[in-house]
Amino acid sequence: MLNAVRAQKAFIAVVSFTLLVAMIFPYGIMLLTSLKSKDTIYSIPPTFFPEKWVFKNYLDVWTVVPLSHYITNSVLLASGSTLLALICAIPAAYALARMRFPGRRIYLYAVIATQIFSPIVLLVGLFREMLWFGLMDSLWALVLINGAFFQAFAIWILSGYFASIPYSLEEAAWIDGCTRLGAVRRIVLPLALPGLVTTVIFVFIQSWNEFVVALTLIFTETKKPLTVGIFSFFGRYDVDWEYVFATSLIATIPVVVLFLVIEKYLVSGLTSGGVKE
Amino acid sequence: MRELLSRASTKYTRRSARKKGLDGRTLYPLLWILPSVALMVAIVVVPIVDLFITSFSEVGLSGLREGFNGVENYVSLFQDPVFPRVLINTLIWTVAIVGITIILSLGIASLLNEKFVGRRLVRAALIVPWAVSLLITAVIWKWIFDFRYGTLNLILKELGIIEKNVNWLAQPATSFPAMIAVGIFVSLPFTSFVLLAGLQAISAELYEAARVDGANRWKRFVHITLPQLRPTLTVAVVLNTIYVFNSFPIVWAMTRGEPLNKTDIIFTYLYKLGFEERQLGVAAAVSVISFLILIAFSASYVWFVTRREN
Repeated sequence: MLNAVRAQKAFIAVVSFTLLVAMIFPYGIMLLTSLKSKDTIYSIPPTFFPEKWVFKNYLDVWTVVPLSHYITNSVLLASGSTLLALICAIPAAYALARMRFPGRRIYLYAVIATQIFSPIVLLVGLFREMLWFGLMDSLWALVLINGAFFQAFAIWILSGYFASIPYSLEEAAWIDGCTRLGAVRRIVLPLALPGLVTTVIFVFIQSWNEFVVALTLIFTETKKPLTVGIFSFFGRYDVDWEYVFATSLIATIPVVVLFLVIEKYLVSGLTSGGVKE
Repeated sequence: MRELLSRASTKYTRRSARKKGLDGRTLYPLLWILPSVALMVAIVVVPIVDLFITSFSEVGLSGLREGFNGVENYVSLFQDPVFPRVLINTLIWTVAIVGITIILSLGIASLLNEKFVGRRLVRAALIVPWAVSLLITAVIWKWIFDFRYGTLNLILKELGIIEKNVNWLAQPATSFPAMIAVGIFVSLPFTSFVLLAGLQAISAELYEAARVDGANRWKRFVHITLPQLRPTLTVAVVLNTIYVFNSFPIVWAMTRGEPLNKTDIIFTYLYKLGFEERQLGVAAAVSVISFLILIAFSASYVWFVTRREN
């Protein structure tokens, strides 16, 4: 019996260690490669570790590509998309959680349907629409599209949070002279703060990571966000892998940190949250 | 003060009346969903309508419509010898990634459901591929699979498993499975966490009772875990299928569907048609077809679930 327990512990240790290594492995390679010199990267036979640790890559990359533009664009478009998604999602999620109205069910289905169609299914239509709006090569187009597609997730998570807040708290606020909107602002939103933070971070990350729409609609080098910027290394004859990965790492670290913050809320929100019909 | 109180109370009665829809203002809630609906109509509904129209139209190089041309776009799509291959690839791509991901994730979720030293570290590590941009992860794997300088060939050679470097991404026989592996790699975190949440919701008493009845580990898994987990599994399968079907950056970064479209999935094919060959009409036809596939899949899912519940 004791042996069986010990064997099981050993098994768990081996499997979990393997899993840990497997999940981190590519990102470790990214880090190591970003610190190699170009000669080491293109040496035969290749080496696993850098021969010389070239931290200078992280300084040089700023002049090799318009990295500060990429970062600014990513920050702008991700913030804009998040803001737009929230402005639309907060009242909608509140209405779904608290009110009965004609067309509620249809609206709910529409929200779910937006989650099914990622922008790439509609890419041709979106392209033509933005052409018509005169929003080609503009970050505004990306804000609109990300906002529209990611609001579905925001509505989903937030209405679950709103519904879990006791209605009596709001009613008490109305008696004290609060308007409905005032009660939402003073009572509901502060109580739903974990949900709000989760939503903000998740939508921000999704917009930050978005690739296809930006690839299709943005042409000018200085208007590109990070994802498309990284990809533009690949048009060239030989790829500057050290810069690709230095840029990737810079793009990745904030996102991973933010994600770790919301992980707990995100998973419970995705599975248990949601809207009652 | 008294005035304030009475105002507040009239406000309150008016509002509760409104809530019951007695004052004819049942449309009031629609104001709350208005911004969301407006955005949805502008960015989701309008492009869908436009797609259908465009798919029956002649489209110029600039992207502007030049009148209807019947089903010509669909005809030229089905005459493209590449298209059947693309559809088959998409099917293999989706089924292989979702199937293998679900099986592996069941194991990972069970593992994370146990208490062991370093569990938080493993959890954190498992988050990383979910958080990182799909494109960046795909680019890293492209480098790892590189023929001359890639880490995979280096490791396999050191271990004595291969003698000569394998050009993984040059032929479909190795590049497509390689991309499927990457697809599984990035799908594992989300699926595992969803299944873990499902596992944690199963009451411990059930296991306790089964243990008293002398059920072994495997029997407990088959007779308690799997049935209890069924709703969660369904959600995981559906969401995964949708994500995987929609995934574009992996193929785009690793092979671009080459050589000769042999590793294309439907969306890389669509992208090339629309934005490299500038055949927006035909690309719209591809979009309409994938749109209908997704609708059919989701509808059958909804039907399946509601039928089970009844």
